[in-house]
Amino acid sequence: MTATSAAALPVTTEAVRAPRRWAAPLWVSALLIILTFLVIYPLLMLFFGAISDSNPVIDGFGKFNPSLTHFIAVLGNENVRLAFFNALVACGGGSLLAVVIGLAFSWIVVRTNTPFKGFIAGASMVPLFVPPLVAGVAWSILGSPKTGLLNTALKWTGIDFRFDFYSMSGLILVFGFYYAPYVYMFTASALRNMDPSLEEASEVAGASAFTTLFTVTFPLIAPAILAGSLLSFVVMLGIYGVPAALGAPANISVLTTYIFKLTAWAPPLYNTAAAVAILLMMVTAILVWAQQRVLSGRSFATVAGKAFRPRSLNLGPWRWLTFSLALVYLFVVVVLPTVALVIAAFRRFLFFKDFQAVFDMKAYSWVHFNSIFDNPLTITSIWNTMKVGVITAVIGGVLAFAIGYTINRTQVGGRKSIDLLSTIPVAIPGLVVGVAYLWAWIGLPGGLYGTIWILALAFVARFIPDTVKALSTSFMQIHKELEEAAWICGRGLLSTIATIMVPLARPGIVASMTLLFVLAVRELGSSLFLYTSDTTVMAVLLLDYYEGGNIGKTAAFSLVQTVIIGVLLGITYWLSRGSAESTARAG
Amino acid sequence: MKRRTILSGIAGAAVTAALPARAQQDAFGSKELIAAAEKEGGLTLYTADFAETQQEVIKEFNKRFPKIRVAMVRAPGGQLITRIKTEAAADKLGADVVNHSDRGLMLEIADLFQDYAPPNAGDYRADALVSPKLWPGVTLGWAIAYNTQLVKNAPKNWMDLTKPEYKDKQIGQVIGPSGGTTWTRIMFERQVLGEDYWKKQAALNIALYPSGAPLSDALVRGEVSIAPLLYNIIYTKIVEGAPAEAIFAPEGVPIVPYADGITKTSKNPNAARLFMNWRLSKEGQTFMINKLGNITSLKEPPAYPKGWDPKVIKVWVPKFDEFSKLRNSWMEEWNKTYGYRQ
Repeated sequence: MTATSAAALPVTTEAVRAPRRWAAPLWVSALLIILTFLVIYPLLMLFFGAISDSNPVIDGFGKFNPSLTHFIAVLGNENVRLAFFNALVACGGGSLLAVVIGLAFSWIVVRTNTPFKGFIAGASMVPLFVPPLVAGVAWSILGSPKTGLLNTALKWTGIDFRFDFYSMSGLILVFGFYYAPYVYMFTASALRNMDPSLEEASEVAGASAFTTLFTVTFPLIAPAILAGSLLSFVVMLGIYGVPAALGAPANISVLTTYIFKLTAWAPPLYNTAAAVAILLMMVTAILVWAQQRVLSGRSFATVAGKAFRPRSLNLGPWRWLTFSLALVYLFVVVVLPTVALVIAAFRRFLFFKDFQAVFDMKAYSWVHFNSIFDNPLTITSIWNTMKVGVITAVIGGVLAFAIGYTINRTQVGGRKSIDLLSTIPVAIPGLVVGVAYLWAWIGLPGGLYGTIWILALAFVARFIPDTVKALSTSFMQIHKELEEAAWICGRGLLSTIATIMVPLARPGIVASMTLLFVLAVRELGSSLFLYTSDTTVMAVLLLDYYEGGNIGKTAAFSLVQTVIIGVLLGITYWLSRGSAESTARAG
Repeated sequence: MKRRTILSGIAGAAVTAALPARAQQDAFGSKELIAAAEKEGGLTLYTADFAETQQEVIKEFNKRFPKIRVAMVRAPGGQLITRIKTEAAADKLGADVVNHSDRGLMLEIADLFQDYAPPNAGDYRADALVSPKLWPGVTLGWAIAYNTQLVKNAPKNWMDLTKPEYKDKQIGQVIGPSGGTTWTRIMFERQVLGEDYWKKQAALNIALYPSGAPLSDALVRGEVSIAPLLYNIIYTKIVEGAPAEAIFAPEGVPIVPYADGITKTSKNPNAARLFMNWRLSKEGQTFMINKLGNITSLKEPPAYPKGWDPKVIKVWVPKFDEFSKLRNSWMEEWNKTYGYRQ
C-alpha cells in the first residue's frame, strides 16, 4: 500500500459550517490583520530598503527614491553568486544527511524494540538546542586541521589521517548532524500517530518488513519528511554561526556570512543586505511552492477513529546493531562536542602542546564560570530570556494553532492567503529581519519599544512558519471523521476543537511550543536591534563573549544556556510523553 | 619593564587620590555637577567596545561615584550606528553617552550630540579630535602578538612580518574592511612601511580573520603563530597567563582614538557629563592603560603599557582627511592584494 492508495480513505471536502454567517470572514480578517502587522508591514520596510537608499524611519517615505541599484549590484557580483552556490551545496548536502539521520532515528526510537529508546530519543534532541555559533566553535575545537583535538589525538596515536572541518564537507557534516532533529521531530511524531494496520496489511500481502518500510511507512509520512527537510534546509540557509566558524577559515563564503559582512562593515550596507535577503526569500518561495505541488491532492490522514498502538518491530539480535548505530551518532553529535565545550569552558586557555596536555588538570579551573556570573548582565539576561521564551511560546503557540487549524481544517475563503503570509518569514535571514522590525515598530505609540514584548513579537513573527508547519503535520494526520462525529453529536466548532483537536494534536502542540521556545532562546539576529539595557537576552550576551575572543567564557555561557534549556526540554518531553500515552489510550 | 608599568600606574592613581578635595572636584566636575549627577542617579551608555571591557570601566567609575548606575547597550559598530540613527529619528534615543570606535561614522551624526568639553580638554592631542563634541574616551593601539610556545624567533618590528621564515599561514591578519581600527593599521603600513609592504606580506600566504577578537583567540590556540592585534585584545589574555606575548614595534604604533559624546536628548545630562569627565580624566585613562591595555590620547600619558619605551616608540595617528578620502580606493587594492573576496 502506498501513499496514493491511502487517498482511498474517505476524504470530505465539505466546508466547516460556520456557527454564524459573519464569524468566518471576521475570523479570517482578524488573522489577516495580525499577520499583516507581524509579517507584511516589516517586510514592506525590507522591500523599501532593498529598492532605495534610505532608512524609512530616518528619511521618511517622502524621500523614497526607488532604484534597482542594489539588486543589479547584487546580481552582478560574482562573489554573491559564489556564496549563493556554496549555500545551496552546503544546505542541500546538509539536508540530505539530516533526512537520513533524522528518519533513521525516528524509526529506531518509535518503531523498533531497540534498547534504551527513551534515552536515545532524549539525547538525540540535544543538538537542537545548541546555538549554531556554539556548534561551529565546538567543531572548530575538534576538527581544525592545525589544532583540532581529534587531530591532536590522531597524531598521538601515530595515525596519519587528519580531519579537516574547515571545508565544504565539514560544513555539510555539521549541518547534517545538527539539523537532523528537525527531521526527527516531524517524522517521529508522524510515526507515533500512524495507524499500523496499513503496515500490517502490507505484510499480510507478503511484503517484507524492509519493503513495507520503504513502500508504506515512509511514503505515508512523506509530508512529515518533506516538511522536516524543507524546514531544515531553510533554517540552514539562515544560519550564520556554523559557516562563520568553519567556512571562514577556508574562505568559503555563504549567503549569511556575506549578509553579515554587509551589515558589519563600516558604514553598514543594510539596503544591499536587504536585496540579498530578498533573493534568499525567492529561493525559499520556490521550495515552498514545490513542497505544496508534491503534497497536493494526497491525503495523509492516518489517525482515524479506531484504537491503535504504534507497532514495535522486533529486531531480534539486530536490535543491538541499531542500538550501536544510535550510540555512535550520539557519541559524534552529543558527546564529542560537549566534551570539547566542557574542556573549553573549564580550561584557562585552549592551547594544547600535545595530547597529554589535555589531561593536565592544573590547566582547568572555574575561572570562566566565576567571571560570567560576576557579570551582572548574566543573571539579567537569563531571566529576560526565560520570560521572552515563555511569552513567545504561548502567544506563538496559540496563533500557530489558530492559523494551522484555519489552513488545514477549514475551507473558509482567504485561508490560502493566511497560509502564504504565515510561510513568508521563514525565508528572511535573522540578521536582516532585525532591522526591518526596528524600522517597522519603533514608531508605534504605546511604548512597545524597549520592552520584553517587542522581542517576543519579533520572535513570534519570525518563527510563525516553523510553528505552523510543525502543527500542520499533526493536523493533517487527524482524520476529519473524528470532528464530524463530534458535530453529529451536536458539538459546536469551538467545543469540537477543545474536545477533539486539542487533545489529539497535543503532542504536536507541545512539540511546536517547545520548538518555538528553543528558537526564541537562541535567536540573535532580531534581538540585536530590539534589546535595551534592561531587556538583554542570552543570545546577545553570548555573541558578546564570542566577539570578545573569549572562547572559554563563550563555552561556559553556552553550557549554562544548554543546561537551562535542557532542563526545560526535559520537563516538556515528560509532559508530551504523558500526553502521547493518554492520546494513544484515548484513541 | 613590568615594574615600571606598575609603578607608573600606582603613581597615576596616587596622583588623583592624593589630590585635595577641591582639586579632585575640578578633575571630575564641580560640587554642583556631582550633586546633580547623583540626584539623576544613572545613565545609559551605548558602546561599540566589548561589553566586558566597558563593565570594568563602569565598575571602576562606581568606586568613585557609587550612587550613579550605568546601564549599557552594546552592539557591533555598524549596527550600533544604524540603531542610534533610527532611534533618534523616532525620538526614542535611549543613550546618554555613546562610545564608538569609528570617528568617520560618528562625525556624520555629530548633530545628535551636545556641546561638551572635559575639564582637562587642553591636555588632549589635537589630532585625536574630529569634532569639539566628540572625545577620545578610549584610545587603542596596534601591537605585534605571538604565541610563545610556537614561535622560536619572535618578530621585533613590522618589517619582520614580511620575512619568508613566517610563511604558510603562520601569520594571521584582520581583513581590511572590518572597520576603522583595521583601516588605520593598513593605512599606516602603506604610508610608513612602504608601498609594497602589503604585497610582500600577502606573498607569505597569511590567514585572514573577520575581526581582532577571533584572531586573538586563534593566536592563543595556536591556529596562527603571529598576528598584528590591538593591544587591549591580547593584553588581558597575557595577564591571565595565556601562552602569548606582544611587542610595540619601533617603526610606530598606529593608534585609534574613539569618538565619544553626550547626546542632545540625554535625560541624565549631569550624570553623563560626570561619567565622561571621569573617563577622560587622568584617573580614568590611567585605569584603562594599566588594567585594560589601552593607550591614551593625552599629550602626556600618565602611564605606559608594558614594553612601551617612550624614548623609542612613536605613536602614529592618521590624518583625518586622508582617513576618509583614501579609504575606498586603498581598501579595494588591499582586497585585491590579499585575495580577499568582497
